[in-house]
Amino acid sequence: MSATETIAATAAAAPRTLPPVDRESRRLGFRLTLPTQLLVLFIAVFPLLMQLYISLTDWSPLDGVGWWKAWQSWNNFANYTDLLEDRRWWGALWRTFIIMLVCVPAEFLLALGLATLFMDDFPGKQIFYSILLMPMMVVPAVAGYMFFMLFQSGGPLNGILSALSGMDIKIAWLSDPTLALVAVMVADIWQWTPLMFLILLAGLVGVPEDQLKAATLLGASWRQRFFTIMLPRIKTIMVIALAIRVIEIFKIFDTLYIMTGGGPGVATETISVYIYKVTTQDLIWGYVAAIALVILIALSVVAVFAMKRMEAARNGDAVARKGARA
Amino acid sequence: MRRSPAFETFRYAAIALALALTLLPILWMVSMAFKPIPEWSATGADLTWIPRAPTLDNFRFVFGESTSDLIVALERTAWRPILSSLLSAVFGTLIAMVCGTAAAYGLSRFGSGKNLPLALIQLRLFPPMAVMIPVMIMWAFLGLIDTWWGLALIYGIVTLPFAFWLMKTFFDEMPREIEEAALVEGCSRFRVFMKITLPVMRAPLASSALLVFILNWSDYLIALLLTTKNWVTIPVYMASLSSSMTGQLYGAKAALGLLAAIPPVILGIAIQKHLVRGLTFGALKQ
Repeated sequence: MSATETIAATAAAAPRTLPPVDRESRRLGFRLTLPTQLLVLFIAVFPLLMQLYISLTDWSPLDGVGWWKAWQSWNNFANYTDLLEDRRWWGALWRTFIIMLVCVPAEFLLALGLATLFMDDFPGKQIFYSILLMPMMVVPAVAGYMFFMLFQSGGPLNGILSALSGMDIKIAWLSDPTLALVAVMVADIWQWTPLMFLILLAGLVGVPEDQLKAATLLGASWRQRFFTIMLPRIKTIMVIALAIRVIEIFKIFDTLYIMTGGGPGVATETISVYIYKVTTQDLIWGYVAAIALVILIALSVVAVFAMKRMEAARNGDAVARKGARA
Repeated sequence: MRRSPAFETFRYAAIALALALTLLPILWMVSMAFKPIPEWSATGADLTWIPRAPTLDNFRFVFGESTSDLIVALERTAWRPILSSLLSAVFGTLIAMVCGTAAAYGLSRFGSGKNLPLALIQLRLFPPMAVMIPVMIMWAFLGLIDTWWGLALIYGIVTLPFAFWLMKTFFDEMPREIEEAALVEGCSRFRVFMKITLPVMRAPLASSALLVFILNWSDYLIALLLTTKNWVTIPVYMASLSSSMTGQLYGAKAALGLLAAIPPVILGIAIQKHLVRGLTFGALKQ
């Protein structure tokens, strides 16, 4: 029932006539949403136009002219054509995808496994659950520093490995190009598996228990119950969990930058790190603006898609709740 | 459901392993925070998980007190960064919650601002790095670079999507009867919102605010770009801590990291119930 209908129904039932609520509520609704609308305009529309304008020039803050005079260095879309041939950019994009392709499935499988263990009650469940969620609440920069310490060549990780193997192991994790990438991935998996776990568990707990019981009575094995009842039930939730991690890994910066600074060389340089370096060290802001715009356009497409999925999830949820009530 | 003893054994073993892996990095930082200088970079057989001579010197050091071992003087102490983190996160949360709650109510009850859900999701989707050029130019123009209020403003905008979506799902779920009763009594709609709806929604408002605060407190990149000296936040300050005499100030950094990590972990556990809803933009409720 929409708000207006509700009000109409109330008005019909009430002995007194109410003030013309329709106009009043529309005006109030407008006023309540106005600050947010203005903030969105302030952060999206104007900056995007500015970004588009600057991206067509060679402007840099070192030029000594205001950004509005950037047309003086107009370069006929050279930033965009340069981007196509920028090997460092493609490398960063590639590395970001590698991290995504390793971390997202790893986090997903670990989290799904853990979540199935937490489906029913057992002694200590609540405290284990709280502890397992801790990593995602640690400030990412601090998590980065934790792993920076862990992966030192004289650090505790090599210490543990030495104790286990009986040899004196001194692996220089963060200064080897491949191992540094591995280290960065380990940190991401450590920090964000809990988020997936949290989301997937919430989904699994929502699977109706009577269905599982019925299946057990009918002689379904654990594996059959898992693959034919539980997994299909949480399909949408899995998509949401995966989408959130894909989006967040695309932005990966804090932990990684503290651990390696994108190095050694460019071995762990991701998109965000690359943009950060061009912004603060090379200071070619016209070029940065072009990169940023390309990313924004690509992501907007993803946003529309994700939004549709989430809308479907919410509607599916509403249908399920109505069904349960009936 | 009854499970077999074999399953129970497997479950506890698997959980024990997960707990160990979860706690390992945290414990090392806690341990490091209480280690005196000679133990900072001890390796091989000297490497210990429990400090041999536990000390509070690392904490004293970052707050500018002179300590016996650390003779290096800090250019600036941790007080100012802590203040900066607190001010920017608190006021950022305030901006996000006030605007987000009002807009969520407007949409949930009156259908205003139908463009906002998608617009705000997109806002959240973009890497901050991809919109920072215009933000840095605008902030410089407005004189907001290296100020806590400049940080608070951008934090408020960045976390607005969370505040909006969380409050929207809460408002959508709230029974309308109470509000309707007040309307019949002759209250204006705005009065109903202020005097009835908001007090009823105290608990959801508190959890949303805490989530938004955690997110603001956790930022590193934005503060790195928008502050330079006077109002750097704890993570930026922590990353910049090093001295030419002792190299990496492991213990001091660990002490700071510990201080920075404690508030969100405690608050996060406090709002566990609403974390799923908050982090999935209300797509999923627990």
